[in-house]
Parts: sequence; structure tokens; C-alpha cells
Amino acid sequence: MEIAVLVKPVPDAETRLRPDASGQELDPEGVKWVAAGYDESAIEQALLLRESAPGTTVRAFSYGPIARAEEVLRSAIALGCDAATSVEAPPGTPPDGLAVARALGLAVARHPASLVLCGKQAGDDESGIVGPAVAELLGLPDFGVAVNVRWEGGIERLSIQRSVEGGLEGVRVTLPALVSLQQAWNDPRTAKLPNILKSRKAPIERIPVADVAAAIAPSASLLARRVAFRLPPPRTGAKMIEYSSPDDAAQKLVRILREEAKVFP
Amino acid sequence: MSGVVVVLERVPGGIASVCGEAAGAARALAGGGPVVGLLVGPGDSTAATELAVDKVLTADGPEFEHPSTAQLGALAAAAADAAPATTILFPGTARGRDGVGRTAIRWGASAATSVTEVTRDESGSLHVRRPVFGGRATEELELPGPRHVLSLKPHAFPLPPARSPPASSEPLAIPDSPKSSRPVEVTGFTPTAGGKGPELGDASIVVSGGRGLRSPENFGLVEELAESLGAAVGASRAVTDAGWRPGSYQVGQTGRAVSPQLYIALGISGAIQHIVGMVSSRVIVAVNSDPHAPIFQVADYGIVGDALQIVPALTREVRKARGL
Ligand SMILES: Cc1cc2nc3c(=O)[nH]c(=O)nc-3n(C[C@H](O)[C@H](O)[C@H](O)COP(=O)(O)OP(=O)(O)OC[C@H]3O[C@@H](n4cnc5c(N)ncnc54)[C@H](O)[C@@H]3O)c2cc1C
Repeated sequence: MEIAVLVKPVPDAETRLRPDASGQELDPEGVKWVAAGYDESAIEQALLLRESAPGTTVRAFSYGPIARAEEVLRSAIALGCDAATSVEAPPGTPPDGLAVARALGLAVARHPASLVLCGKQAGDDESGIVGPAVAELLGLPDFGVAVNVRWEGGIERLSIQRSVEGGLEGVRVTLPALVSLQQAWNDPRTAKLPNILKSRKAPIERIPVADVAAAIAPSASLLARRVAFRLPPPRTGAKMIEYSSPDDAAQKLVRILREEAKVFP
Repeated sequence: MSGVVVVLERVPGGIASVCGEAAGAARALAGGGPVVGLLVGPGDSTAATELAVDKVLTADGPEFEHPSTAQLGALAAAAADAAPATTILFPGTARGRDGVGRTAIRWGASAATSVTEVTRDESGSLHVRRPVFGGRATEELELPGPRHVLSLKPHAFPLPPARSPPASSEPLAIPDSPKSSRPVEVTGFTPTAGGKGPELGDASIVVSGGRGLRSPENFGLVEELAESLGAAVGASRAVTDAGWRPGSYQVGQTGRAVSPQLYIALGISGAIQHIVGMVSSRVIVAVNSDPHAPIFQVADYGIVGDALQIVPALTREVRKARGL
């Protein structure tokens, strides 16, 4: 049983966002690259499934500039993944999910897996395009926004719960399949120091960049070009409502919502 | 002329409201071309024909009751060829959004999700704006034509009025399904615990409470205010971690991201992990007893005071103003 996990390097949560000199990209100066939050959930989920299906191997895949991709793959290995494949982004490729999907699709096809796991979206561009696009390329069904994934009577099927509008939907998944995670309130495990040290020397397979470029080519004319990366105008702080009593405060707020902000139902 | 297909998602009692918004946005994009709704799944089509569309195509076989992303993609591409259309809009719902990447690959289109602004230039490219980093920044993308697959961010576009008379509807000629196109095998549904009123991700008003409410019983004040406004109820992680309300209420980095027209934060300090889940709301109101609470930095309107006194007064005033 092989499980593939797709892991995207994203700026860590503490990053101070600012545009670079071109105004088109996040300034990468000083940014620390970490695995996207929902992708960490996918790693955690893969490791939990492996625990109850002996003989399973978990391989992590990451696409991006090679240093970033291998940084997050080492953290995936430190957490317990068995193997890792880095997929180098051809320099100058626009940061478009379709390109990422074609590149990862190529890599996963070289290590066929019964189950492909990923996060429902990454915390930087929040696109959610890659997972379903990889599924299309690999001819797999895809199931999104899963919050709970368990084997159902063996390793042929999974029972998952999906966080959809209005509640949790239970779904039976027959493998092979791709499942994207939205595990919101399960804290993923953290790596132990000896494993972190060992992961520094772990082998990481590399897909040659020429192969990656060839895989992306069919979508080359369709890739989105980022023309601006902007910060919102700084919020200047709240307009404070002065009042003489709770009722007075309530009346003033309702008037403002109705007449000034125009958001009163 | 560049027609648009709007994929319509059924919800109990009608069509997801984001689909109506998409129909309105589609009109501006279509440039005189047809705006065609695609209604998937068995059931009544009346609500769909009252949206701002020219025509509704239906795929109402029992095999589409729980459509897979692959089925949706195949149907959407077939509907676009029939319309004819060069743009497909998927609903910005949990399930709908997954159609974007798959359909873009299948249909040979460029793609973007959670779009808040979109225009078409003479060359046929779309220019879109969308929030990134939890609404802490925005990006602008140029999507080359001629084909595009998008989803729109909920509530970023106005809901056009219902159309009258209703649009006509006719069955879509169903394409041969690809092998991966089995329907989803749904085994059950558990409604969000205690959730009355609209769904958090879909609501145009969200009222959230934090530890400042002091007890699970007092949190009922938040729910009463929400009910008076027809709003969804949210919470900080302090509330869900303490078990006052279930985890599904949590707004923030590790909970739900919301962007309603109005977000009211009651007794919430405004930790960065909470802020990233609500900062892209259009108007933010905060009530907090501490004038230095960080929530006031991101709020548009602030009231310094005891939530236990302000909130009941506000509920009374809202009820009065709405004639409830
Ligand atoms: C990795 C990580 C992820 C996290 N993810 C999330 C997340 O997704 N969502 C989230 O919300 N948090 C998240 N947190 C937690 C976050 O850091 C804060 O701890 C949490 O948001 C605080 O909740 P609170 O504002 O309700 O409580 P507190 O910080 O305790 O604030 C309570 C506020 O109520 C005010 N107050 C007290 N009494 C009253 C009164 N009578 N009337 C009015 N105001 C009153 C106080 O002045 C204070 O500002 C995360 C933390 C970490 C480390």
C-alpha cells in the first residue's frame, strides 16, 4: 500500500507580508518556508492510516524552488514519512496551480499510489486548484474538505467525513482516490529532535527539471500571470462609539449600521 | 460574445445563494452572450429558473444526486459547449470549488478561485482580483483566454433580483462519463450541532463571541443577537477549546475563514490567529471592555464596554428596528 502526500512550501505564519520591488510578488527576503497547514494535516492523516495498515509506505512530494521544496520534505521525513520526491519548478514558471498539478502529477505517476492526500488549499494563495487537477490528470476520483479519514474494513476503502455547508457529510471512498484535508482542530504531531537531525541526511529523489518543464508544457499557454501583489490599505483603527448607557450605545450602533455602513438587514 | 455557464448547487429548499451572485456576475462577463445555469441532480428546478439566467440546463438523473467533481466537470464542459460559453463559474462552496481545477485541466482553460473582481479585456483575457494569505493581501491575475473556469468568493458580488417570468429549462445532452465519474457514495449527514440560522461560511452577517462572555450560558446572548439579525454564530478558539460551543463554530487560522458583509466580535481580544479568519469582512464591529484590545485595530466601529450589558441592549434595539 502506497500513500502519496502533496506538500507545498509556504511562508510561515509570522511572515511580515510586503510586495517586492516589482509589485507583483511577495518579497521573499527573510521568509521562512514551511509546509502549508492543511498539508501538515494531510501528512498527519497519512501517518495515522499507516499505523493501522502495516506495510504501508508514505511518500511526500513537493514542488517549488528546490531549496524550499527540500526544506519542507525534510520536515515531512522528520515527522515520519518514509520517502520524499522533490519536483523542481522550472525557473520563470508562473505560480499557477495548473502548472503545479502537472508537475506533481508527473512525479506521483512515477510512484503509483492507492491514495493521494493533500491539503484543501495552501495558506498563501488559498487556491485549492492543485488537488482536483492532479486527480483529473491521474484519472482518480477526488474528495475534498475531509476532516476525518478512516479505513473501512481493510485497505480497499476509506470512510471519510467532509465539512460541507450545514454539517458533516459521511462518504465511502473506494481506492484509488485523492482526498484533500481540512482538518481544522486536530493538532498534527511535532517532530522529535533525533528525527529532525536524521532527516537532514535523508535521501530525497529529484525529478529532473527538464521532465517537469515537459509535463507543464500542455498548460503553458493557460497559466495565470500575477500582475500585482498588494496589501490592503492599513485599517486605521475603529471609530469608537461614545455612549451614556447600553441602550444608547445600541441605538447609536444600529443607526450607524443602517445609515452609514448600510449593512443592516 | 462570450457566454457563461453557472454551475448551480442544490441546498435544502433551493439553490445555494452564492449561485445567484454568480449569475449576476456572469451577466457582466457574458458581454451580450448567453448566461446559462447548469442544475445538477434530481428535483424541482423552479428556484433555478428564477435566478438571473437566460436558460437552465438540467442533468436530473438519479446518478447525479451526489455528483462527483469529475461528473460536475464533465457536465459543465458539455453545458459550455451547448450554451455556447467560454467561461464556467463554479459555486464558491465546499464541494463546488473543487470543480475548478479539474474542469480547467479537462476543458483546457485557465483557472482561479475565490475571485472578488473580474473584468474581460479586448484580447479575451480575464483580469481577476482575489484575496490571499487569509485576506491579509490581494493578488491580481491575468488569465489568458479563450476559456476560463472560476469560482467567486461568497458575498463579493451583489445578489441580483429574482427574474420574472422564470427562465426556460431543458435537459442537457449528457456526455459519456469518464471512468472516474462514479457518483459520490454518501453514507450519512450530521447537521452542524446546535446550528440554527444560516451557515457560517455562507452568511452575510456573522456574530462571534469570545472568552469575554465569561460562561457557556452567557454565550447564549451572542446567539440571541445573531438570531435577531438573521446572522450565523461564530466563536473564538478560546470558546471552542473550552467546550462552550463545538469546534465547527471556530473562526480563524485553524477554523473557518469568513468574509461576510458584517462581522460583529463580542468579547474577542483579536489575536492574529482569529483576525486572519475574519479580516476580509466588509464591515467589522467590536465590543470589548478593554480599550486597548487589538480587535479595535481591525474594526471599523468599536464599543468599549461590558458585553454582558451591551449585547442584550443591542438585541432589543435590533428587534425593535426590524419590527420583530
Ligand atoms: C497555532 C494556533 C492557532 C490558533 N487558531 C485560532 C483560530 O483559528 N481562531 C481563534 O479564535 N483563535 C486561534 N488561536 C488562539 C488565539 O491565539 C487566541 O488565544 C484566541 O483567539 C483568544 O480567544 P478570545 O479572544 O476569545 O479570548 P481572550 O484572548 O482571552 O480575550 C477575551 C477578550 O474579552 C475581553 N473581555 C473580557 N470580559 C469582557 C466583557 N465582560 N465584555 C467585553 N469584553 C470582555 C477581554 O478584554 C479580552 O480582549 C490559535 C492559537 C494558536 C497558537
